[in-house]
Amino acid sequence: MSEPIVTTPLRERASNALRDRFLHEALDIATTKFIALRREAFGDFPQGEALRDRARAIKEATLQRLDAHLETLVANVERVGGHVHFATTAEEARRIILDIARRTGARMAVKSKSMATEEIHLNDALEAIGVTPVETDLGEYIIQLAHERPSHIIAPAIHKTKGQVAELFSRELHRPGLAADPEVLTKIAREELREKFLQADLGITGANFAVAETGTVVLVTNEGNGRMTTSLPRVHVAVMGVEKVIPSMTDLAVFLAILAKSATGQKLSVYTTLVQGPRRPGELEGPDEFHLVLLDNGRIAQIAGPLRESLYCLRCGACLNVCPVYRQIGGHAYGYTYPGPIGILLTAMLNGPASVKDLAHASSLCGACADACPVRIDIPKMLIELRRQVDEERIAPWPERVVFKAFAHILAHPVLYRLGARIGRTLQRPFVRDGRIRALPSFFGQWTRTRDLPPVAARTFQERWRDLS
Amino acid sequence: MAKTRGLFPASPAERPTQPRQRLDLLRRELSERCPQTLARFRSEFERVAGVFHRVASASDVPAELERICHERAARRLIAWPAEELGVAIAPALSAAGIAVESMPHDRPPDAERRRLRALIAEADLGVTGADLAVAETGTLVLVSAAGRPRTTSLLPPCHVAVFDRTALVESLEQVGLVLEAWHDGPAPPERGAAINFITGPSRTADIELTLTRGVHGPKEIHAIFVDGGLGLHG
Repeated sequence: MSEPIVTTPLRERASNALRDRFLHEALDIATTKFIALRREAFGDFPQGEALRDRARAIKEATLQRLDAHLETLVANVERVGGHVHFATTAEEARRIILDIARRTGARMAVKSKSMATEEIHLNDALEAIGVTPVETDLGEYIIQLAHERPSHIIAPAIHKTKGQVAELFSRELHRPGLAADPEVLTKIAREELREKFLQADLGITGANFAVAETGTVVLVTNEGNGRMTTSLPRVHVAVMGVEKVIPSMTDLAVFLAILAKSATGQKLSVYTTLVQGPRRPGELEGPDEFHLVLLDNGRIAQIAGPLRESLYCLRCGACLNVCPVYRQIGGHAYGYTYPGPIGILLTAMLNGPASVKDLAHASSLCGACADACPVRIDIPKMLIELRRQVDEERIAPWPERVVFKAFAHILAHPVLYRLGARIGRTLQRPFVRDGRIRALPSFFGQWTRTRDLPPVAARTFQERWRDLS
Repeated sequence: MAKTRGLFPASPAERPTQPRQRLDLLRRELSERCPQTLARFRSEFERVAGVFHRVASASDVPAELERICHERAARRLIAWPAEELGVAIAPALSAAGIAVESMPHDRPPDAERRRLRALIAEADLGVTGADLAVAETGTLVLVSAAGRPRTTSLLPPCHVAVFDRTALVESLEQVGLVLEAWHDGPAPPERGAAINFITGPSRTADIELTLTRGVHGPKEIHAIFVDGGLGLHG
């Protein structure tokens, strides 16, 4: 179990999110823009579809021999002077990194954006031993100052207005009266964080890929903080899920061609940094020590499990941007580290199916996510599987299970279905207002609390067809 | 670890069997398409807000640099040493009143490194070479090494890369081949641990999706293409 299970019901978290008018507007603008940028990027790129198929095949092939590829990766990282550590659980990963921090004598660590370090709740653990973690990705820096979690995989502070950021910086950085101007605020972040980069003893990053054949870790960024973090401090620690390994540089070229396009519509992100171990002897800069922490945390169990395909994920955020649920409620309402369609699957992977008993239903199964995914992960199929698991393990309350069993029975028998329609037509009369059923009594009120139902038609299609023929 | 059949039969990308030979062949093919490749590079580089310059020969580079410095009142420059750039820029620029600090060929002792770090952090402009210029995306690829530090293209607010036709490649797919070739066999002893792909100036849109440049890395990036070639061993 990786994260504390959220106790407020999803319904409540979603309602709160829906009431936040600014969040709603921000999400609308951001997701619409990302969708347009991605479409444009792939529109100009005829090889895109074939490359997506190839990328999916590379991910599947890698999983089929994951142990061999990880062995090759470890051998090559060690060959170039790096150290590799394997963490089965989040707790183990934290312990490994804290040990490195202690040995380094670090008092401050600069961090380049890493969902893996969010997943293992690293920052709190570092603070607990007196090491100050400083997030350097502008969005992550903002939410760190605000003591919040990211609300989107790619744009973590998308839920904040520029006014809120200005006020936050004014207060936390002791610079009163800052203008709500992104240029001004970015410049301040640059100044503040440059100091930190130059002073830090320890740099912690994630990794988008690790090339087994050469022992190279790959960081895809836009701001330059990934380069700073891997060049200036004495020690560099990269934390990476085991599924991110890829066999060769030829494979890397395939992924680089589609990753940034899927995430932000750029042909490439501004910086793609390939790091092969610590600095070489003659280099002016670069870490003296390089550590790669390979994180399992429930991933390996899914290689033979129903969520296997979610291990292909590149963390591009494309599925978030197209999801009608995410676009309404935003990332925080999901309640866990990873939001959006893929987030539901990853949460189940990390914390077990019980953690997604309501999240698995936070989907209309429209399939927009599977369509947008650069490696064509069939998210709806796995959501249905999770729903089935939740049902099988009797996680849903018994009245819900009884009603759905009855419903399934009725749907499977046409005679019962037609009889049901005739009965329903009579019983519904007191509840139909202006052509909609807005509120049903007692237990059935669960369905109408957040949706209106269409009434049963005065004459069903079957009945009209019979009359016509 | 559980051995599974997998969801469908799949293989990783097919790797070139003799990458270095394949790369030599590619370079010969590319030299014939050089004008188109350069035009495409320029177009993509400018699309990501790079500023493109073209000079006839290596001896024209210092004057072009002087112009760039003058335009933004840059008075302190850091640069890779002449052997790494393929052209000597310090004499001409110093004569024009611009301070040029050449990066060391080897790793100096602690005190000197501290002095250099402070200097690099204050520099107005950094001059580097480029190992690859990728036309498909307008990307410059820089391999770090002794004498080719990483921060020259990172800390100053303006980065200028000087390159010639030997760096040009057309696509990311070809970059994959180059990377295979570079890692085929033992690494040259002076090569460093970092390869940086640079596509435009540093940017973010984290605040209300408003694009701003020069977050942590440079605000501006320039590329100077030298028609006549640079004096590099290639």
